[in-house]
Amino acid sequence: MQRISLTSISILFFLAAAVLPLLFSTVPSLAGDKKHITVAGAADLAFALKEIAAEFEKETGYKVVLSMGSTGMLAKQIEHGAPFDIFFSADKGYVDRLAAKGLVLKDTVEIYARGRIVLATRKGSGVSLKGLRDLSGGSFRIAIANPDHAPYGIAAMEALKSAGVWEQMKSRLVYGENIRQALQYIQAGNAPAGIIALSVANVPEIDYSVIPAELHRPIDQAAAVVATSKEERIARDFIKYVNGPKGTPVMEKYGFTLPE
Amino acid sequence: MDLFPLYITVKVSLIATACTITVGLVLAWVMAKRAFWGKGLLDALIMQPLVIPPTVLGYYLLVAFGSSGPVGNFLEETLGIEVVFTWKGAVVAAFISSLPLFVKPARAAFEGVGADIENAARLLGKTEFEVIRTVTLPLAWRGLLAGAVMAFARATGEFGATLMIAGNIPGLTQTLPIAIYDAVQSGDYATANTLVGIITLFSFSVLYVAGRFSRVRF
Repeated sequence: MQRISLTSISILFFLAAAVLPLLFSTVPSLAGDKKHITVAGAADLAFALKEIAAEFEKETGYKVVLSMGSTGMLAKQIEHGAPFDIFFSADKGYVDRLAAKGLVLKDTVEIYARGRIVLATRKGSGVSLKGLRDLSGGSFRIAIANPDHAPYGIAAMEALKSAGVWEQMKSRLVYGENIRQALQYIQAGNAPAGIIALSVANVPEIDYSVIPAELHRPIDQAAAVVATSKEERIARDFIKYVNGPKGTPVMEKYGFTLPE
Repeated sequence: MDLFPLYITVKVSLIATACTITVGLVLAWVMAKRAFWGKGLLDALIMQPLVIPPTVLGYYLLVAFGSSGPVGNFLEETLGIEVVFTWKGAVVAAFISSLPLFVKPARAAFEGVGADIENAARLLGKTEFEVIRTVTLPLAWRGLLAGAVMAFARATGEFGATLMIAGNIPGLTQTLPIAIYDAVQSGDYATANTLVGIITLFSFSVLYVAGRFSRVRF
């Protein structure tokens, strides 16, 4: 057994030389020096907000940092002082609760989309459905988002109850943690049918039909400026921008439509 | 390609591992060599992060270190340090979750160094510190290194607690595991694949170098 060899010392030295400057350098951060706003948004919005943010950056010179996550987690983080300027919630309820506690500015709460749900089937699964009533027969699994907390899951449950089939088929339901996971169950064929959001339904593997809006309470998605924002003016502008003539077409392209 | 996630991951896991080794050495040594009241309780407490889900750990940390929490309030008021939603929050998450992975093997390594050989050194007139430096540490060296490598690996891959306490803020707190999660969530598989490649390559090289190094004697 050798003592510490020259090679290993030099390897260590090399590692230290490579790593130490990293530790003490200032962070080459995107969110650092340049003027910026941080937007916390529900994961579904990633593509739409990215596109709108790029345009907004060009026009205003402000950098838009997007922090995507689940609505519930982002709301919890805002309660504990997260440095966000705007919150795009997938569920207006969360924004209202934060507004009641004074954590977001009440007068900035604005609906940016009204969600729609669709009845989806996997192509080639042999399952064909004309409407929600057809879900009561058969033995196949049906994917929805978790109706305990996911807004689209709650709407799916309400629609199934309105159609009068909830009791017959609830034992065949599989819950996705969010709407994207429910979609993945159908895409992968683990569940040949399901109820998902219109905004994620446009994928090659599935057929879908939109479920009538009367069957469930509206899925209103709202945004608001966070009370601790240091860039309140530009944050207000961004929400207006998303709902304005530049943002609306992009939002619609990704399936987020404003209520009429 | 934005390499910030790699940078912040390396920085956070190195600092966290350094903290883990410093605190862990003391804890492991005390638990291996000393009898005291509440040792079992302390052990169970340190091992907690191995058992409870990372998101739950993250929630505890968020509540404790948040601006309204007891620890967070103290740090902010008296020292002016903000922990949550900064890279320091990621360090705290990585430190707490990697601590048990260092303490467990380090304690076993210290216990493996028999009291006889240490007493022999004491009889020869060595002070306690000299016993540790010249007898215990050299003999326990491999177990300590193994623990350090495990701790570093855990710190690099830490996800759940980090997501809660540091958040997913690109350019500020978005570590590699979180950047990968973010890319998959938003359906950006090209970015996800690149980042997965980077983290795999990185962790593989670190473990390989550590493996080579463990053959060297103290």
